[in-house]
Amino acid sequence: MALVAGPGRGGSHLSSGSSPAPAGLVIDKHVKYIQGLDSRKDELDYWLTEHLRLNGVYWGLTALHLLGHPDALPRDKTLHFVFACQNQDGGFGAAPGHDSHMLYTVSAVQILATINALPELENRREGGKERIAQYIASLQDPNTGTFAGDEWGETDTRFLYGAFNALSILNMMHLVNVEKAVSYIQACANFDGGFGRAPGAESHAGQIFTCLGALSIVRRLDLVDTTRLGAWLSERQLSNGGLNGRPEKLVDVCYSWWVLSSLAMLGKLHWINASQLTKFILTCQDPEHGGISDMPGDMVDVFHTVFGVAGLSLLGYPGLVEVDPV
Amino acid sequence: MTSHGIPRSATREERTADARQRELKEISEYQRLVEEVNQKVQAEEFTPELLQKTAELLRRNPEYYTIWNHRRRIYVHEFQDLEKQVSAGELEEDSRVSQVLDIIQLDLQFLFPLLLKFPKCYWIWNHRLWLLQQATALLPVSKARPLWEEELGLVGKMLSRDSRNFHGWGYRRIVVQSLESPTLHGQSMSRQELDYTKQMIGINLSNFSAWHNRSKLILKVLDEENASDEERKKMLDAELELIHQALFDPYDQSLWFYHQNLMCSFDLDLAERSMAPNLSNEQRLTYIASERRYIEEVLEDAQDCKWPYQALIECTLLEAKLRQGLQDDDKKQILQWLKELKTLDPLREGRWVDMEQSLIKGTA
Repeated sequence: MALVAGPGRGGSHLSSGSSPAPAGLVIDKHVKYIQGLDSRKDELDYWLTEHLRLNGVYWGLTALHLLGHPDALPRDKTLHFVFACQNQDGGFGAAPGHDSHMLYTVSAVQILATINALPELENRREGGKERIAQYIASLQDPNTGTFAGDEWGETDTRFLYGAFNALSILNMMHLVNVEKAVSYIQACANFDGGFGRAPGAESHAGQIFTCLGALSIVRRLDLVDTTRLGAWLSERQLSNGGLNGRPEKLVDVCYSWWVLSSLAMLGKLHWINASQLTKFILTCQDPEHGGISDMPGDMVDVFHTVFGVAGLSLLGYPGLVEVDPV
Repeated sequence: MTSHGIPRSATREERTADARQRELKEISEYQRLVEEVNQKVQAEEFTPELLQKTAELLRRNPEYYTIWNHRRRIYVHEFQDLEKQVSAGELEEDSRVSQVLDIIQLDLQFLFPLLLKFPKCYWIWNHRLWLLQQATALLPVSKARPLWEEELGLVGKMLSRDSRNFHGWGYRRIVVQSLESPTLHGQSMSRQELDYTKQMIGINLSNFSAWHNRSKLILKVLDEENASDEERKKMLDAELELIHQALFDPYDQSLWFYHQNLMCSFDLDLAERSMAPNLSNEQRLTYIASERRYIEEVLEDAQDCKWPYQALIECTLLEAKLRQGLQDDDKKQILQWLKELKTLDPLREGRWVDMEQSLIKGTA
């Protein structure tokens, strides 16, 4: 069971500039692309991306749900794989035998929630839920309130959001110091209204998503300078319709999610041009073999596929299931 | 993450039979290596050979975070072993120090080419930082500090290769913080770092990462030096002059965001956290008027540029805040600018319409 074999099928050789008007979203092809990811064990890249496997399952599964094909992956195989990634400490690694880390533990919880399998945690082992929650809670720094990714101590607002996300799904927020974490997020705020990965760090759309997401979960969006941040986020849209993650950087499909969901949380989705962004995302899909890439002409992968599809869903693209921006 | 910026190339259907065979062989070699490393770690066979194998694996795949963890486990084991030998009287403290230093230096050297090749790989940066932290914890300051100093040089090199590298800037702040810490007998480097941002801006005006860092460092410098209001005002004047010089390219949004940052000192709601918090309202109004004149000049030469309009609106709204009310004439003027913005910047029409609505309703 695996899903992030990454690139290799980007079949359509779009020559830049002369690409025809994009077709609509090729839903069936994207579904097939995701279903096919696990059959690519004869590619070296499949093995070199093992460190993303559990994230890959989450990205693929989420994309399938949004595309209206929630049953396109076999549930029992998915469950089996997820549990095979769990370690003694209660956390999950990227694949069986990989060490526990916040990133994969969050993916595991999200997958279980997506396929309605949270009760399985208790069925398999009493206190199964709490065991995961304790692992996550143990990564909070009691002094600063932020979270580490694993026992080795790297901290990042990505992990803080991950912790809040998974703990709120597990209904175990009481295990952590919310107030301290919230003050930490406040300390990450910059004059432009955005947030960085740590106090002092530059605003970045991905980190803004994580900080807004975390604040949203604990209903503290009142702490955000909505107008200023909304303006900064809206300036991420460039003339080709795509979004970048920081001033004067290149556009990339994944920001269709980070920027757009942040704007949605602030209630400012209409501050960018939806039809231009839709067009941009569609030019990044491979219309023959499915999958979406970071920008037109590049290799497709499941990461950009889910964030492209999720972006389209936020924009209300017809035929897609509605996504929650948090 | 995943496949950013990789052009579409031959798909797997296009591989020749030969290439297919080669790839299968590579896969089995890779898998054998992974298996070998994992088995040895599990059996705690922490030998130089195992270390070599992890290096081989990480050179092929630096994203394999578990292998980095293994590498650290091997070193922790080694460091503890050396300490035990010292306590048991089997090893001189001096040779423990020199052995630990050797291990750390060799690994830092191993990492350097990897970092050049994969400058956005979180795990490589993390591992470097861990090694340096070990140096601080296990070595005398006279040995640990030079390692951190060299690291500052290295991160400088990384940033001159890619001046916006997010990891690089974050890492630089951590290295500086360590060098400033009492543990390493350090002192504030804020002035020096402030100069560094100016140097980076001089190379590329559009470097928002440098402007951002500058905005943080200025506050730090002023606080550390217990700057008087007059000194703070001087700093503000100098920064305004700097940004005016830079704004000869009015299409660059990095510059306007920095300009907006400076304007915080004139904003009643934000001044407190700005570089010059104690200006009088009179002074604020004088500043705003002067900024307005400057922006109008910019606009004259760049009629098709949206940013001066946004800045003019901001000036007018700040003035209104200070005068406790928006004059009718000003309101008309803003509505006129918003009309221009809707034409010049249609992507963000929704934002301009919202602003228009709130002006008309009087809630702006």
